[in-house]
Amino acid sequence: MSDFIERAKFSCALGGALTTIEGIPRAVPIVHAAGGCASALSGTYNLAAGYRGIGYCGGNMIPTTNIAENNVVFGGEERLEEQIEATLKALDADLYIVVSGCQVEIIGDDTVAVANRYRNRGVVGASTPGFSGNTYKGYDAVMTTLINNVIERADEKDPAAVNILGVVPGHDVFFRGNLDEIRSLLASIGVKANTFFGTGESVAAIRGYGSASLNIVLSPQAGLDSAKAFEREHGIPYVTAEIPIGPTGTEEFLRGIARALNIDGAVVDGVVARETKVYYSFLERLVDIYADLDFQRWLIVAADSYYAHALTRYLANDLGWIPFVTNIHDIEEEHAQARYDELFRDVDSRHKPLVLFERNPSELLEEVRRAWPDNHNEKYYNALSPAYVVGSVTERGLAEKLGAGFLSVAFPVSNRVILNKRIAGWNGALTLVEDLITSLVSSR
Amino acid sequence: MSKYSDELSYGFTAALAPPVRETRIGVCSAYCGGCSQLRGDVNSGCAQLQRRKFDQSGGCQLNLASGIVSSLTNVVMITHSPLGCNSRYVAMGGMRRMMRASKGKADEEFIWLHTNMGELDVVQGGIDKLRKAVLYAEKQYHPEAIIIANGCVPGIIGDDIDSLCQELADQVSAKLVPIHCEGFKSRYVASGYDSAYHGVLRFLIDPYERYDKALNHASGSRDEGEERFRFKQSRTVNLFNVGSNSNGDEVELCRVVKALGLNPRFLPLHATLDELKHIGEAALNVSVCATHDDYLLGHLKERFGTPYVIDTLPIGIKNTNIWLRKIAEFFHLEEEAERLIALETARLEEALAPIKERLKGKSVFVGGGETRILTTAEFFHSLGMKLLGVKAHNVDRFVEDILENVTDGKLFVEVAAGMPAEELNILSRLKPDLYCGHAGANGWVTRLGIPTMPLFGQTLNYMGYAGAFELARKADKVLRNTNFAKNISRNVELPLSEAWMASDVKDNIKERENA
Repeated sequence: MSDFIERAKFSCALGGALTTIEGIPRAVPIVHAAGGCASALSGTYNLAAGYRGIGYCGGNMIPTTNIAENNVVFGGEERLEEQIEATLKALDADLYIVVSGCQVEIIGDDTVAVANRYRNRGVVGASTPGFSGNTYKGYDAVMTTLINNVIERADEKDPAAVNILGVVPGHDVFFRGNLDEIRSLLASIGVKANTFFGTGESVAAIRGYGSASLNIVLSPQAGLDSAKAFEREHGIPYVTAEIPIGPTGTEEFLRGIARALNIDGAVVDGVVARETKVYYSFLERLVDIYADLDFQRWLIVAADSYYAHALTRYLANDLGWIPFVTNIHDIEEEHAQARYDELFRDVDSRHKPLVLFERNPSELLEEVRRAWPDNHNEKYYNALSPAYVVGSVTERGLAEKLGAGFLSVAFPVSNRVILNKRIAGWNGALTLVEDLITSLVSSR
Repeated sequence: MSKYSDELSYGFTAALAPPVRETRIGVCSAYCGGCSQLRGDVNSGCAQLQRRKFDQSGGCQLNLASGIVSSLTNVVMITHSPLGCNSRYVAMGGMRRMMRASKGKADEEFIWLHTNMGELDVVQGGIDKLRKAVLYAEKQYHPEAIIIANGCVPGIIGDDIDSLCQELADQVSAKLVPIHCEGFKSRYVASGYDSAYHGVLRFLIDPYERYDKALNHASGSRDEGEERFRFKQSRTVNLFNVGSNSNGDEVELCRVVKALGLNPRFLPLHATLDELKHIGEAALNVSVCATHDDYLLGHLKERFGTPYVIDTLPIGIKNTNIWLRKIAEFFHLEEEAERLIALETARLEEALAPIKERLKGKSVFVGGGETRILTTAEFFHSLGMKLLGVKAHNVDRFVEDILENVTDGKLFVEVAAGMPAEELNILSRLKPDLYCGHAGANGWVTRLGIPTMPLFGQTLNYMGYAGAFELARKADKVLRNTNFAKNISRNVELPLSEAWMASDVKDNIKERENA
């Protein structure tokens, strides 16, 4: 098991489960744990995910068994039954998902078995104790429960329908805007994307997602277990892809999906040509000020594997910034690190980025200082400047220490409000550029 | 000097962990009914035995305990638990910085660690990981103290963090402070304050040591510096801040105490360890909120002999006056206090007059921590507003007096930490013009269509005379445009069922089965 973590950019499995459930319209979590877990964890993703909110039934509205010391001694299953019965009466929902905390799992309560007794009343269960893993683990536990117990078996598959996996609500602070963008991108090549958490989703719609013919996993760390469950339970294969950002990334994404679904490449050609033209018609408006003031920056990216390469490649290959260092904090296994490192081969600037897998934020600053020669009071010192840090709010201190520009994009983000903003696709990239450059002109 | 706490005994710091408040104080955490009935049921002990059938997520003592100690200057926090406990820190770094900036304290980056306990650690124990984390914190950051908050998992499996701290004490220069705040141990989340102060008392507040200068002492006269110190100490008043007060509150309370010729200073939140060391050098310790600090004040009296005032919370004119009179009484400054009160009250009343005119007859409901809601409600009442009810996180001995003074015995009282389902049911019947509530509740009440204002805020003033004016001003401001709540309630769906909204919330209360 992994080591301690400094300033971890995660919650636990229960936190991941709750932020996932809060992403589903009219779904209600029932938490079998001590009284404080649910609202505290829900609060983490409300306050640190661009104020994403608490969904239909989050925060201190979350039904909780509120077990205490006596339950830890005597067991809490009876209390859970009472709480499920009471919740079914008190709260309206299209789906109730019982999830468990550390305390009850250690003492051996069988949360899922208790939940299953209420299956015919719209209740399902998932085991999500905090010690079982981080946010991703909770996301996959809830998704796997949906896949196994809620999504109906469909013999006939829709060749043009896909499910999007790996976009964890809140952990991708732009999740809803991104999913809406991905849906419209795929619609432009004739593919219907089921997003689970995007606009217009519902539990009724999710029940029918067994008829998709392909699952697309957009994260190297979240969604793979869910995709495997889909394959096992519903016979739906999966492909992995990267969140598309900007012209290069979005074209690659669409071509990959078109290949997997046997869609004519000419369809993609048309979309790419049209949208790239639109993209540059907007970006062109920035050209004069960009060139007159030299907005090219040395780039420092600190993000999870979901965003790190996609952001670096967009800012290097499309916007023309100089990728100095990219740190990925959420991959622990060495072979997985090596595999992710390979991705950076397609970063085509002359200066190649240093790719790091440091888990602790303070180590990134040390690495930057190691990788760039110190100023020994030289008269002519080649400084790492002008630089820009694209990361999470945790990197604000790093940016200040380096005297660099700063934008928070990856979780946690507590210094910006994100409603329907997105950074996916051609549209999202334009929003990202707006925000990056706004901070450079905000004092004018 | 408090009838609430004088009956309580304090002498727990020899133990590794403090007793929970359920056993130390006795507390009611589930109640719905009239105010006078609650008084009776608290006295008979019945109110303390109630639980709920349908329960919702409230607080966790780990959050409250960590909130206190993580504010101290130049410390590193380690949460010994899986990643979820204290994961809200990812959003707190900026907030902590703002608080420090508002107090003019040096900027510092907030550093916290998780031992990230996993399945294997549940079996094998997590002490080795904690050891590594402590040594990393020491090497990387050289903090003055490393504070370890113990979560449920190590609490249940029995990780011995105290022995580890003893073992490492000689290897690190930082002071090691174990905090026992496992969430499952107490439903009364304010137990977390005791947990935090237990650690502070044991490891960060040294016994008071001063040495007389041998030469001067021998000649029978002490030097001028010594005299000055003793005089200063005889006028020094420690005021104990809480996580929910703003710097503006502190400035205001210092102002009125200073006006009596005393030397006030705010502790212990945001303090340096050096300031904490000198916490015993005061003539009087004054509580701002008993729910927060009776444990600390009680123990400081034992250790340093410092008398204390634990009374009301200085919100609103009446309670600020009471609070000030108690302090003045101790220093025999009654006359000065009365002159100050007369002056302050006259000016404030004059300023409040036009606001009162607009707020008169408007109805209000207040929810949150027991002392704060009752004093805030009293102030609204004094403004001519109609008080429809209050919701307290819990009720214990510290509000007996205030409850006695609530003139309307039928005043609706709900006792719950959280439970927005019950609260919305009640509010949909009472339909107040304004709701003033704790963080976490206001959003739900807004969804119901009732305009809200926060009960506290780290950037807002609520305490003392200036705070009273701000409180009235805010209520007046909020009621000038209530479209936000109106539009939200029309367009956003609540998860509560019709059957629930039609039910009597009293039916949700049950007698508990066992402890």
